[in-house]
Amino acid sequence: MLRKGITESFGAAIHALNTTQLTDGVINRSKRMMLDTLGVGLLGTRTAVFNKALAYSQLFTSHESSSVWGKSEITLPPHYAAFVNGIAVHSMDFDDTWHPATHPSGAVLPALLALAETLPSQPSGLDLLLAFNVGIEVQGRLMRFSREAYNIPERFHPPSVVGVMGSAAASAKLLGLSPAQCTNALAIAASSAGAPLANAATQTKPLHIGNAARRGLEAAQLAQRGLEGNPAILDVNCGFGVYYKDYSPSAMAVSASSDFKWILEDQDVAFKRIPAHLGMHWVVDAALAARAKLENSVRNFDLSQIRHVTLRVPPSKYVDCPFPATEHQARHSFQFNASCALLDNKVTVSSFSEAQINRPALKELLSKVEVETPKDNLPSFDKMYCEVEMETDQGQRYVARCDTFYGHWRKPLSQKDLVEKFSVNASSVLCTEGVEGVIDVTGNIERVRECSILGSYLRMTSSQHEQLYSTRSL
Amino acid sequence: MISKLQKTIRPVWAVRGLHKSAVEVLRRPAPEDTVTASFGKFISEVKPQHLSSVVLHRSKRMVLDSIGVGVIGSTTNVFELALQHCQHMYAPDDISSVYGRRGTRLSPTLAAFVNGVATHSMDFDDTWHPATHPSGAVLPAVLALSDMMSANSKPSGLDFLLAFNIGIEIQGRLMRFSNEAHNIPKRFHPPSVVGTMGSAAACARLLSLDPSQCSHALAIATSLSGAPMANAATQSKPLHIGNASRLGLEAALLASRGLEASSLVLDAVTGVAGFNAFYEDYVPQPLELSNDDGHMFLLEEQDMGFKRFPAHLGMHWVADAAASVHKILVGFGPGTVSPAQVQDILLRVPKSKYINRPFPDSEHEARHSFQFNACSALLDGEVTVQSFTPAALRRPDLLALLSRVRMEHPQDNPANFNSMYGEVQVTLVGGDILKGHCDTFYGHWRNPLTNESLRKKFRNNAGAVLPSEKVERLIDVVEELDRLGDCRALLSQLQ
Repeated sequence: MLRKGITESFGAAIHALNTTQLTDGVINRSKRMMLDTLGVGLLGTRTAVFNKALAYSQLFTSHESSSVWGKSEITLPPHYAAFVNGIAVHSMDFDDTWHPATHPSGAVLPALLALAETLPSQPSGLDLLLAFNVGIEVQGRLMRFSREAYNIPERFHPPSVVGVMGSAAASAKLLGLSPAQCTNALAIAASSAGAPLANAATQTKPLHIGNAARRGLEAAQLAQRGLEGNPAILDVNCGFGVYYKDYSPSAMAVSASSDFKWILEDQDVAFKRIPAHLGMHWVVDAALAARAKLENSVRNFDLSQIRHVTLRVPPSKYVDCPFPATEHQARHSFQFNASCALLDNKVTVSSFSEAQINRPALKELLSKVEVETPKDNLPSFDKMYCEVEMETDQGQRYVARCDTFYGHWRKPLSQKDLVEKFSVNASSVLCTEGVEGVIDVTGNIERVRECSILGSYLRMTSSQHEQLYSTRSL
Repeated sequence: MISKLQKTIRPVWAVRGLHKSAVEVLRRPAPEDTVTASFGKFISEVKPQHLSSVVLHRSKRMVLDSIGVGVIGSTTNVFELALQHCQHMYAPDDISSVYGRRGTRLSPTLAAFVNGVATHSMDFDDTWHPATHPSGAVLPAVLALSDMMSANSKPSGLDFLLAFNIGIEIQGRLMRFSNEAHNIPKRFHPPSVVGTMGSAAACARLLSLDPSQCSHALAIATSLSGAPMANAATQSKPLHIGNASRLGLEAALLASRGLEASSLVLDAVTGVAGFNAFYEDYVPQPLELSNDDGHMFLLEEQDMGFKRFPAHLGMHWVADAAASVHKILVGFGPGTVSPAQVQDILLRVPKSKYINRPFPDSEHEARHSFQFNACSALLDGEVTVQSFTPAALRRPDLLALLSRVRMEHPQDNPANFNSMYGEVQVTLVGGDILKGHCDTFYGHWRNPLTNESLRKKFRNNAGAVLPSEKVERLIDVVEELDRLGDCRALLSQLQ
């Protein structure tokens, strides 16, 4: 089957999309994504994986360098700034999630901010917003080329597949590349795509997003220098199609003068309340509800009364982890998150520390947990549910089910709660002026003249915090 | 091939089996019993005395050839582009040498990158079976890392050569995990899959990482592997080797800083793909280091193919076949072949889309075109570096011949570098039919280049850029490499 011109249509579209085509709906949603991404990124700069990546990246220097979020003194060459900031964003699995499944913002925003800081003429906030949305849109388009992408992944980690393409597209946009160069940027980026899922639930997973940001930016810059790749990279099965078992691409039509239907307008993202894999949010909400039922009926509620816990979840091997040994495994464990919710009546950022993971009471509860995967529970973030059933020593059963957790695209976080999440995250690193500055700038990004002002707020650490947290790992 | 794989499978748990229940071991093998751990252990513990004289000899030939093609590769556009990119994006860093550019040094990973690009820039580098270009992914990283190590702890020549061989061995072992790898690739470009792993392994060894860190280096590298075939025959292809080298080094450096990744990355876990994400069929096997002094490196049982001209390996068969027809034609009449004599050209070659290009548009496409290489050899009696210049690509005589080419893909001609053949059948205007057939081109592992031929290729390549004293010194140094106390003698001759 000969398909023609799909890649070229993407190149043309990336080039042609302009700020007048940004709708209110898309502007609103993407600003929320930016704010959330910056917050989780800032919090993530205090993790062990971030520190390792930062130490490594400091081997490199350059004349023009870019900010490292949450660090007032350190800058890095743009590629490595994108790398470490991207890692920070995904370090605690706290970043946004879309449908079909990927973490779209972490692959794009760090690259754009790093790039913007080095451009001779400073892009405006609106330029940044447009480039960001181009990066998100391209990812959404690519995921719709296969049925495989609609389910929880098993082979390749989606951010490593579509994220690098989004970063390349967004960077190409900000650089103002020609249609042909945009096409080449995508082709070059495709050779940097595809990390296997096995590294999810490990310390290396955040690097998938960090590398997506970094290598997409690099692809755009190589294209700017004239490097060429396959101009049909999206068209052919031996191109981008290698990452999917079924692959059916289609062209992206953009006319510079008419309206454009952004995918983000139709399909919102989910924001997380817990720094853990998205699936955990369902099981936590169900566990909390089941616990509440138990608490309401039993006078002196004591967890040792629980004989058995059954979790009914979708089949997904990499989040089925009965006894997690590390924070990374804990963030990818139905069993852990449910048990935490039952034990503590909440799951928060601090639930994943080494001390918390190793609590005897938690381990005891974990030994009573069993996982079932009912046939009607599909491995899709759009269709799945989680059910938690507790059985007490007395033989009483308490069941609760969650179809849509608060924060899912069907039940989005209120603006108040989103800003609250950001404030809590950012305050662990920035001083008040920095926190409020970021909220203010992102809230008004379409009116900001030079987007580099964002960078200066991201560096406004409270020095006390910087000393305290620089060697501590969460 | 399938039966061979099945025969050599020894399920890990069958060896251990006694203490734990079969079910539990199946579900969760003890850490030290995994394939991944066995690889880490091998990388960390294999010794120089495990290198046989055959392996030493063969790998030194690879090092020489790789440097030669890398040096001539430093004259290409894609190399220049990559170098400028690095110099522009990063501040000068006086650490690792860049091939062929006196005084130019970069950060280690960037030097590995550009030197890797140079090595593959003309598709002139070595090819193995199962198919990959093993040296270009490993040597630039090992050189760059050696440059990075402090003056009083540079690796000896033997350490250097051992690290290099580890990088090659790991690639060979990984490719034997699947049937898919035995054939000319269709999905992922092999150097981007196994090359990154080989580089990570070699660098992990040179950094003296412990077995666990070596395993993590491989796992980190897995997330950096895998580029689609579609970028072969384009200007981006050389970056696959450049990135394999660079990213493997990066993986090892990150592992040395304590970064951790999946401890089951090479094992096949249902529902969560690791390294097997890159293959449709995948049966991993542990890499065992025997207790006595013997380890059979794969290079001992499977030699390397070296190219005589800068094009995809498959081109060498049709070029040799066409060259024999040229010889006959020239014997008939005047000393050149003219398109006027030729009515029809039939090529019988394996089926492989990415090397089937009737009218290549660029040098990159021409290096991946059965048609182009057959016609060039038919016209000139051989294919050389010069056959791919812009002028050569546009020759009217060549274009005339190209328009007369037909292709056939006989059933008995598999897309496999170990079993394929190339046949060129020329029908002359008078009606005579001349046939050339090549089963094994000169340079293939079944008919290896003599040391003389290899050195001649090296002199032609390196001599295009370096002064002849350096060229000769490099030949001597590489020949002596396993006896050198300090690899600096090699590092200092590359530019």
